[in-house]
Amino acid sequence: MVKIDLSQSNITDANNRIRECGQNGQDVEIINPDARHNIGVGLVDPIKVSIKGSAGYFCGGLSHGAHYEIEHNAGWAVGDNIYSGSVVVGGNAGAIAGVAIRGAEIVVRGNMGSRAGQVMKAGTLCCGGNAAFMAGYMMYGGRIIILGDAAEKLGSDMSAGEIFVGGKIKSLGSDTMVVDMEAGERDDVMEFLDRYKMKFSGEFTKVVNAGKKLRYANAEPRTRPQPFFVSSKSSNYWNPKVQEDIWIKGEVGRYRIRGYGASKPVPHLNDIAFVKDVSKLTTSPDDLKDINLKTTVGGRYGAKPISLSMPVMIAPMSFGALSRKVKIALARASRLSGISENTGEGGMLDEQRAEADQLIFQCLSGRLGWNVKDMQRADAIEIYISQGAKPGLGGQLMAKKVTPELAAIRGIPQGIDLRSPSRHPDVLGADDLVIKVEEFREVTGHKVPLGIKMGAGRVNDDIKIAYKDGFDFVELDGLQGSTGAASTEVLENVGIPTLSAVQEAIDGLKEIDAKDDMDLVMMGGIKDGVDVVKMLALGASCTSVGTSAIIAGGCIACMQCHVGSCPVGIATQDKEHEARYDLDLQAENMHRYFESLRWQIAAITRALGYDDVHKVGRDDLVALTPEAADITGLPYHPEYRSNPQPAIGLEVLSRKAG
Amino acid sequence: MCGIAGVLYKQEGAHDIGKTLINMLDGCQHRGPDSTGFALYGDEKEQLQLRFIVPTEEVSRKKAIENIGVLLAKHGATIDSEQSIGCSYQISVNFDGDLHAFTKDIEEHAKLVSVGHTLDIIKDDGTAQEVDATYNVAAVKGTHAIGHVRLATESAVRPEAAHPFWATGFEDIAIVHNGQITNYWKMRRRLERRDFTFHTDNDSELVAVYLADKLAQGETLDSVLETAIDDLDGTFSFLVSTQNEIGYAKDHLAAKPMVLFETDEMIAIASEEVSLNRLFPGQSITSTEPAPGTFQTWSR
Repeated sequence: MVKIDLSQSNITDANNRIRECGQNGQDVEIINPDARHNIGVGLVDPIKVSIKGSAGYFCGGLSHGAHYEIEHNAGWAVGDNIYSGSVVVGGNAGAIAGVAIRGAEIVVRGNMGSRAGQVMKAGTLCCGGNAAFMAGYMMYGGRIIILGDAAEKLGSDMSAGEIFVGGKIKSLGSDTMVVDMEAGERDDVMEFLDRYKMKFSGEFTKVVNAGKKLRYANAEPRTRPQPFFVSSKSSNYWNPKVQEDIWIKGEVGRYRIRGYGASKPVPHLNDIAFVKDVSKLTTSPDDLKDINLKTTVGGRYGAKPISLSMPVMIAPMSFGALSRKVKIALARASRLSGISENTGEGGMLDEQRAEADQLIFQCLSGRLGWNVKDMQRADAIEIYISQGAKPGLGGQLMAKKVTPELAAIRGIPQGIDLRSPSRHPDVLGADDLVIKVEEFREVTGHKVPLGIKMGAGRVNDDIKIAYKDGFDFVELDGLQGSTGAASTEVLENVGIPTLSAVQEAIDGLKEIDAKDDMDLVMMGGIKDGVDVVKMLALGASCTSVGTSAIIAGGCIACMQCHVGSCPVGIATQDKEHEARYDLDLQAENMHRYFESLRWQIAAITRALGYDDVHKVGRDDLVALTPEAADITGLPYHPEYRSNPQPAIGLEVLSRKAG
Repeated sequence: MCGIAGVLYKQEGAHDIGKTLINMLDGCQHRGPDSTGFALYGDEKEQLQLRFIVPTEEVSRKKAIENIGVLLAKHGATIDSEQSIGCSYQISVNFDGDLHAFTKDIEEHAKLVSVGHTLDIIKDDGTAQEVDATYNVAAVKGTHAIGHVRLATESAVRPEAAHPFWATGFEDIAIVHNGQITNYWKMRRRLERRDFTFHTDNDSELVAVYLADKLAQGETLDSVLETAIDDLDGTFSFLVSTQNEIGYAKDHLAAKPMVLFETDEMIAIASEEVSLNRLFPGQSITSTEPAPGTFQTWSR
């Protein structure tokens, strides 16, 4: 038994020591914990950690196999996301006890705060006293045992799992019902209670999902493929897109769901131009050698930054929205081009990890596929707050895509219309986020960069929070950013364009005198190297491409991603459809597309008179429209419009090909 | 987006409220590193105590203090003693007129942040330790206090936007708030029509003004807190203090943390147990987490 005195040690040193003990198989006793946060997080060895006093937030969180005993109270999110192992709290637990657990046993001998067991997927959460409101909120599986009373909205929007209540239930949450206990079920519960020496002699009320909201009442119908560029034509008020929209609403009686991003014209990078006439540039085969494109992201606090061969990343897209093959192809293309791949929401695939040199692991509100082992093999961690396609809303994955394999990696019941929570259980403000950031830093030993993904809403405020909360980098996604499925109204109307987003971000950081140390990765409608250079000139440190990468990799932009039967095997989990996808070929296509970006970026940088792409700046740009001038504050020079720029890239490429 | 803390000693006496609150706020400074503020209740003074935020640059500071002198003279108030420290100017004045009219006029022309015979609000940019280094908060003794650490999100980092806020027009009342009032503009317009003036865009100022309005109508602190839970929309845990009481209110969603610990001698409330535990190092305390949509008050 190793004794660690928290009055004599900071939490990082203590956690390093605990992990060391884990590797040596030694149990640990923590004295003078004094309710400090993040005690024992990220432990992956089966040792016992005894905490002699009270613990703060996230005690035992993101661990795998360890056993924790907290003598007294625990703060918010005790046992956060544990896969296996146990936590026993002698006193009370704060809000969201057992949040997102996937197999652990969490026992709270006293009372539990609000939203206990939120988005839990498996395992047992047991409370000897009373549970505050919304216990079992959005749980996907597992069981909650409450020996005392349950407050309001018990089990609200749970998809699966069981809740057993020994006392009174103040009110049931939406889509729940009371059912009789099955044979043997009481014995199972009593066996669990015996194991933890908890006495109970009354009757249980069993609460389960009522199955009324698991699926949309009317499925989204298949429509004639109406490609993105057709539905983007909005010169007529009553166009085919509007017509179709009305027809389908008449059929399903609700908002519509589709893939892709906003398909309406908004001010974008096309509305700004380079001051110098880059179309007259002379290219040289040495561009790629002479011009520095190397980019690092996330070195703000000394973690090993993501190291890119050019200022381009692959945008976060989930295994779920996309097929397994596509995720592997993206990972391979990222390696071939020396850029990074991002898991998106649905967890990390082994093949994806093996193919990608640099892989960012994304943590979303539903904690679907989120776990400590993949965190510890990621090259960076990214907390998703929202995305450009649907700021303020969670993801949607229609039932057809929720296959057994998909359900297993995410820890959810198969065949439901999965609607991810719109917010994180443990991040309800910038103040909570500070503690979450610390938890992730502790779990990864402060070794990898920590980023935040935000949809562009109130960027001027949000970017300041990101900076103050200590993120290494921000991925900021404008209105044009795409998705696998979202409501059309939100896709088209919520958020601000990428061009406004980058400007607000730069202005916001300036307003708080931020040092130039938090990298800003801009995404949402980046289509070529011209856009990349413009974005860097506006002030971004890097860019991220999603839609364009997918198009390069075979997407026909039919906008039926949500349906789940993607004709080219990209946005599908249907094995037959996925079989149509030629992984090797498409990975090469994506790689070649990324190389085209490289050529363009290098050629334009040289034409602008620099030897390093990170030297481009606002002086290199003018605005072509009054709107773009107003948004960016760039000088308005409409005369540049008669001198179109995009030809440059093609010219260079054809020369290379020739 | 913040951390809050409060303490009340039930017995009269010169308790170390300054030191206690510094310790508690230091414990949750991670929730808000931008600015820190204290509302401290000491002995009842004969004169009315006022504290203003003034510029730190010498010439404009002098001008601001002169301007305050002119305002006071206009209302027949005379300065008994004064202290100019940090970003603030603190005075004792002889005044026995209509406090509401007096402070309303002054607030329009100067940054008045604290008014009362027992209350002193000290707030500035920086951490609890930094604010203490300038204002010697640790030396303040009394019976109760509330405090706040702030992470500025939607309004600027300026001392006047820091908490606590004074309930305009009412002496000896202060609030600190953690959360976000989402019907801010609706409530603000409603209160502006009732002739209240707002001096920041900070939603916590709204809570202070809302309380002031209700108290002006003769409601008790308990009943004000009860209606606040329904009238204010959003996520919040806030503390309010008067000459003899402290109280809390918590939103229906329990989205903002708050724990409390009570003994026969004292009541301590804070965003996180780590702040409470600072008062009892090495010990386990039996804290409780108030239920959503509840309020409670304690008096000394």
